Amino acid sequence: MVDYLASLAVFAGLYALLGLGLNLVWGLGGMVNLGLAGFFAIGAYTSALAALHLHFPLVAAALSAMLLAAASGALLAVVTARLKGDYLAIVTLGFAEVIQLIASNEIWLTNGTDGLSAIPAPGRGALSPLGFDLASAGIVWVVAAAAAAALGRLSAAPYGRVLRAIREDEMVARVAGKNVLSFKISAFAASAAVMGLAGSLYATYDGYVAPDSFDVLVTLLVVLAVTAGGVGRMQGALLGGVLVVALSEGTRFLGGLLPGLSALQMASLRQGVIGLFLLLLLRLRPEGLLPERMRVHPLNDQGGKIR
Amino acid sequence: MGSLVSRRAVLGGSLALPLLARTGFAAAPIPLGAINPLTGAGGAYGPSMAKVAQALTARINGAGGVLGRPLALDVEDDQTNPTVGVEAAHKLIDVNKVVAIVGTWASSVTTAVAPLCWQSHTMLFCVSGADSITKLPHHGYIIRTQPNTYLQSGRAAQFLLQRQAERVFGLSAQTPFAVDSWNRLAQVLGQGGASGIGDIIYDPKQISFRSEIGKALARKPDTLFLNSYAPDLEILLRETYQAGFDGKRFTFAYAATNAVLKALPAGVTNGLFSFAPSPDLASPAYRAVQGILGVNDPDPYSCQIYDHVSLVALAIAKAGTASGVAIHDNVRKISQGAGEKVSDPVAGLRLLAAGKEINYEGASGPCDFTPSGDIVSCKFLFQVAENQRNKTLFIS
Amino acid sequence: MIASFLQALVNGTLAGAVLALPALGFNTVYAVLRFPNFAIASLATIGAFAGWIANVLWGWPAPAALVVAFVIAGAAGAATDALALRPLRPRGAIMAAIGSVALDLLLQNAVRFGFGNDPRGYNLPVFRDWQVAGIAIGPQEVEDAGLALVAMVALFLLLRFTRIGKTMRAVADNAALAESKGIDPARVAWIANSVGFGLAGIGGMLVALDTSLDPLTGFRVLLSIFAAAVVGGLGSIPGAVAGAFVVGIGEEFSTLFLAPTYRTAIGFLAILVVLSFRPRGLFGERAY
Repeated sequence: MVDYLASLAVFAGLYALLGLGLNLVWGLGGMVNLGLAGFFAIGAYTSALAALHLHFPLVAAALSAMLLAAASGALLAVVTARLKGDYLAIVTLGFAEVIQLIASNEIWLTNGTDGLSAIPAPGRGALSPLGFDLASAGIVWVVAAAAAAALGRLSAAPYGRVLRAIREDEMVARVAGKNVLSFKISAFAASAAVMGLAGSLYATYDGYVAPDSFDVLVTLLVVLAVTAGGVGRMQGALLGGVLVVALSEGTRFLGGLLPGLSALQMASLRQGVIGLFLLLLLRLRPEGLLPERMRVHPLNDQGGKIR
Repeated sequence: MGSLVSRRAVLGGSLALPLLARTGFAAAPIPLGAINPLTGAGGAYGPSMAKVAQALTARINGAGGVLGRPLALDVEDDQTNPTVGVEAAHKLIDVNKVVAIVGTWASSVTTAVAPLCWQSHTMLFCVSGADSITKLPHHGYIIRTQPNTYLQSGRAAQFLLQRQAERVFGLSAQTPFAVDSWNRLAQVLGQGGASGIGDIIYDPKQISFRSEIGKALARKPDTLFLNSYAPDLEILLRETYQAGFDGKRFTFAYAATNAVLKALPAGVTNGLFSFAPSPDLASPAYRAVQGILGVNDPDPYSCQIYDHVSLVALAIAKAGTASGVAIHDNVRKISQGAGEKVSDPVAGLRLLAAGKEINYEGASGPCDFTPSGDIVSCKFLFQVAENQRNKTLFIS
Repeated sequence: MIASFLQALVNGTLAGAVLALPALGFNTVYAVLRFPNFAIASLATIGAFAGWIANVLWGWPAPAALVVAFVIAGAAGAATDALALRPLRPRGAIMAAIGSVALDLLLQNAVRFGFGNDPRGYNLPVFRDWQVAGIAIGPQEVEDAGLALVAMVALFLLLRFTRIGKTMRAVADNAALAESKGIDPARVAWIANSVGFGLAGIGGMLVALDTSLDPLTGFRVLLSIFAAAVVGGLGSIPGAVAGAFVVGIGEEFSTLFLAPTYRTAIGFLAILVVLSFRPRGLFGERAY
């Protein structure tokens, strides 16, 4: 049981990291980047290939993953610079599809649908499986907490303020002399780097990457994590990661309650419940469990409410 | 078959949980896990596999279980996604403490789950096709009941040569074995004087293959080799018919399922050849799967998971203890060798209890395994679609 | 060479025709409600299954089954929107969109719960392609194109000449002003959803006819629907049809010189190219 929970903790941490990346570009910057599965995949494959073919140790592999993901993020930002809101969301979704296609088809690079296996991880052979899982959970959460702290600082700093200004009204920000494009590119790149880092940790922990892992459902769950945790506040993503994993794993144990159903019906019920839960959450607490603290200008503080 | 089949199907379907309460076992249950694609791209196969595993488990428990203990089967959905599959494996291994995991389907799921199994000494039985799987360093903890690509494609080519195919064109879904199976097929065709004139690999998530088919037909083949799964096969069959192709079409039995044949008019599917690894048709194991699913041509994966559960039960009975290590050490003692041939796991359990040696012959084939976990060889069943059903041609 | 070019053109046009109806439905909803409703995937599937019940279980012919698909999908879309998504709309388009993703997951699994994963077929014939001057043309797809055209014209007439249509246009142009003039937004939403998702339901049945019917039928074409809607201009009625053809033809042309497995990547590229010249799509965001 402990081992199981440890592995759940790893995945919760990975979702939290992905959520942090999404929060940076969406929560702060107002740019709905639904291509996160693509950056996750780029990070995972880069790290795997670096470890397998170039024998990079963990940190070097992770750094290369972040670098390549950041570069892709910057590129995507440039290409989608003029797109707004819903258009951006849909186009970035297409980007993730393309990455998955490349992973499936470029067999010479990614080994195609067979995937890359036996990715080395420090301690994998030396520690017992339980030890390895516990250590991995520790590492992932230290990284996630550090990222949350760093991004929280960024959020409070002038950089964060400019991003939020861009989110609220891009025109005003531009008039105020901010180079909006360069802020967008850097936000995308930084967000992609965090997602790439999550990918690298995933590849190292699991020891195997395949295109099947990077489908639309991942994106959905990360969006869920960020929304449930609270868009804009970095700690919200941490909570959201835990919530998402608790929900999708918790429903596994529903099986005993409804004996009359077939295995397929149980599986549909589980997935449906996740959708239902999110709908309820959005309805009852749309700002998420840890909402962004609205910064109220003293002059506007009419009892704390802004209309 | 008639009403007997449908009654058994109903019985099988209603026994969704192991019959612990009804049979009144006193001893602790033996935990067994199944990881199947109940949703996602493999969703066409998972549900029937789960149904067969559950029905057989219930039947074994009804007959007294294994070593006086009931099997407690837990079926988990992998959503055809290796990450989800890994979580399911963690839960089964760490929480349920299963002695074996059966029925993993997608090659990516099997490859992801395998290290967890061999590290925890949990036996893994899979139906995945990628040849790389048995080459993993699994130390004997993987058994694959699906024939490998080399074996299958070679036999397929021989069949096509018998049917006087001369110009064969391949349309393959993007899978780990797409390239290997075409190369082997073309090789054997060439040895027999025919030729594999070309192969196109397609993305199975597409909803139309008109241009791929156009390219294929431009080469004027007399035979199309459709290396597909059920959902894409349906589209390929429809679109090749629309394009006016009247030549031979050949695919795997796991694609030419009953559901696909029913979803298309007979005029479109008649004459479709398919093949699968085969048991002896009179085999009680095969008949049992027919009964559980209520069809005359159960898909190969459901037959294989039946064998997985049987092998687990028989190996445990032979070993005298229930653990992954015990299954690992004993599975080949009951699946091959000089023992008495038996196809019904319940009968096999009785023979073992009486101290006899057995050789299990399953619903999917003779179930004899190499040290690396592949099947040694098997016969293949060839069938042709006629009036929305598969008619058996022969076994060889 | 010319032959394969022409064939790709024909294939692309016919592929676009199948996509046009769900794209039309999507944009109709977007025009009035101003957010991308991801649940269109499962509502198209629901329409397809409703048509299947009418055709296979009740024995009705195709036109009647299509009507059933329209009615059921439209009703389901309007009802689920009113129940689940309307409370989210005041929070903004993104929240409503996320809610629609959750709704889609719920509906898709409800279909799976009831019908299972097995592919099903309709009791309708499969026709051989017509061979016209060496080019293959599928009769079913030509019919789909005809239906898309009819639907577009009907929708245009509805918006232009009926009172319902005028209120929809008013809300699409300026929701706040329309409300201040006494137009009930909930009623308009109900109408837009019924019409839009009804079209998606017909579209879903046609897609299922051409591919296969299972819980994932609508989901498989979701990205293509989005691509068509975005290229044409979100919320634009003619844009949806134009976008569908652009995406369909673009993908077919790509198979002339790229590996066929990459054709959806080309769809994505096509979107990017169009949007870099016209960031609001071909027709901008004019609804009509």
